[in-house]
Amino acid sequence: MDFKRIRSLALRVIYQMLGDRRTLALIVFVPIILLTLLSVLIEADESQVNIAVVNSDRGIAMGSNEVNLGQRLLTVLDDNDMLDVKSMSLDDANNKLEEGEIDAVIIVAEDFTQQVVQTQSLELTVRYEGSNPAIAENLDEIFERSALMVANTLVATQSGPGTTPVSFEREMETSLNTSYLHGGPEYDSLDFLAPALIGFFVFLFVFILTSISFLRERVAGTLERLLATPIRSHEVIIGYMMGFLIFGLIQGAVTLLFTVFVIDINYTGNLLNVFLVEILLVIVSVNLGIFLSTFAQNEFQVLQFLPLIVVTQGVLGGVVWQVENMPEWLQPLSQVMPLTYATDALREVMLKGANLLDVAVSLLILLAFGVGAIVLSAWSVRQARI
Amino acid sequence: MSHTIVVDNVHKRFGAVQALRGLSLQVEQGEIYGLLGPNGAGKSTLLRTIVGIHPPDSGSVTLLGETIPDKDILARVGYMTQSSALYNELTVWQNVAFFAGIMGCSDKEAIRDAIAFVDLAERADSRIGTLSGGMRQRVSLASVLAHQPEVILLDEPTVGVDPQLRVQFWEHFRKMTDQGITLVVSSHVMDEAERCDRLGFVRNGQLIAEGTANSMRERASTNDLEQAFLFFAEQWGDENHNGL
Repeated sequence: MDFKRIRSLALRVIYQMLGDRRTLALIVFVPIILLTLLSVLIEADESQVNIAVVNSDRGIAMGSNEVNLGQRLLTVLDDNDMLDVKSMSLDDANNKLEEGEIDAVIIVAEDFTQQVVQTQSLELTVRYEGSNPAIAENLDEIFERSALMVANTLVATQSGPGTTPVSFEREMETSLNTSYLHGGPEYDSLDFLAPALIGFFVFLFVFILTSISFLRERVAGTLERLLATPIRSHEVIIGYMMGFLIFGLIQGAVTLLFTVFVIDINYTGNLLNVFLVEILLVIVSVNLGIFLSTFAQNEFQVLQFLPLIVVTQGVLGGVVWQVENMPEWLQPLSQVMPLTYATDALREVMLKGANLLDVAVSLLILLAFGVGAIVLSAWSVRQARI
Repeated sequence: MSHTIVVDNVHKRFGAVQALRGLSLQVEQGEIYGLLGPNGAGKSTLLRTIVGIHPPDSGSVTLLGETIPDKDILARVGYMTQSSALYNELTVWQNVAFFAGIMGCSDKEAIRDAIAFVDLAERADSRIGTLSGGMRQRVSLASVLAHQPEVILLDEPTVGVDPQLRVQFWEHFRKMTDQGITLVVSSHVMDEAERCDRLGFVRNGQLIAEGTANSMRERASTNDLEQAFLFFAEQWGDENHNGL
């Protein structure tokens, strides 16, 4: 092994990247732009849902008290932080629903309270705007819970003789004692996504850069020239790894600093551990790029590997959907993807403050993927003798 | 004295194509040996076999006393490919310095000399992507010279180079042989062949004739090298009925 030759090759890779300003900008700014967008969208997603309540409930007299459950429901919903509740007439509500200003209308019938007392059944009419099914699903649950809560207050109210106590099958807790093993109430889905994305971006960009660089090396004939020099195939691979490692780590550092200080995500743990995961990820990515570029004749064919290799890992690697929640038949597929282990380690480190020993298994598996990828890329460099 | 290059009965096949069929030749130190033949005759394959890119299927190649493939001996060899294989994103200097560095030479003076040698000193910091075809060909040449090889193999070095520069190239080549450097140059341009010390006619992966330009013409009783080539091709075909 000749370190001078490796150094020459690594320097060449670095000069090539530095000579290509646009690519350089791409690897730094694309993650920043995407992360910014994501943080804005996630924040917006967690903003309030607009609902209208049309309360026609006349209530009933109960002893000396006037009971109006419709009114109580309005109060309960209004107390919910996730909802922005407005009381309005049916016509107004229907108009606003049509214009998309509100997401749902709850219509409380005139005899709502009476129905509850007499038939011990809840009946509410809810109309959803419906273009986002996720909102409807969430609201269904909130409405049901709130209505039950209101109905249960009736049990407490009833005290007069001769009335039947009303109870409902599903008693709802009005208060929860919440505590967090990891994270806390201030953690949102961005904090969950960011660690995985930091890994994903490095994997994606290093893969693109290496596979295209190596393809060009082959197509332009410079690889043939390298074969007529004393450089050995493993020196080529090490040189490539060193060159792209620098850019992978620069990108990792930029995205990490950006998410931590600008987007201000919540994290615990030693951020330096993040870099160890990234180093392993770059090793996998560089060698996978070299290996797969052997099967491409041009840049366009290299890009065809992106959906196949990178997007599938993005989907199945636990970035957005956690592997343990996937259908069982799908999980083995995730388990043969290097990104799965990088995602896991990055999350453990950033969300749970895990040290290197805690994530040793993931790191070792990632290392094994790295060794496997090196074997494949070494094979393809040797195959390159056209 | 041992020969600088000895190719001994080399066969090389790529799939269905038999590129070299028992080719043998020797190149002496300090000479310019010209490989002549039509496209597809096997000239490029022969050069690649000599530098060990394609190890022979059978037969052997000895380069500077070492049996090929031998990676380390390649540090003393320069091989210029047919198309100018360079890194477009890098400057002239970076390209030449890279190939020199791989060969174990980090001497800035040598890199500067090599670039000046091909008359590109003023464009040293230009990216390859901004250069003309002829300039790239010159950079390609410079990048096999900086590490001061003892043997230089040039695969059609003057393709796309204008006549004036071609004359300069050949003057350079002659200067190098004066220093004891050995050159093997492939070409399909017959007038370049005049400048070689010895010629080898290659056809169908075989060496069909060898000698100085004058002796070739004499043996073929013609004044024209091209005619001489055709003469030997025909003669070879008659002797070996499996000709073309």
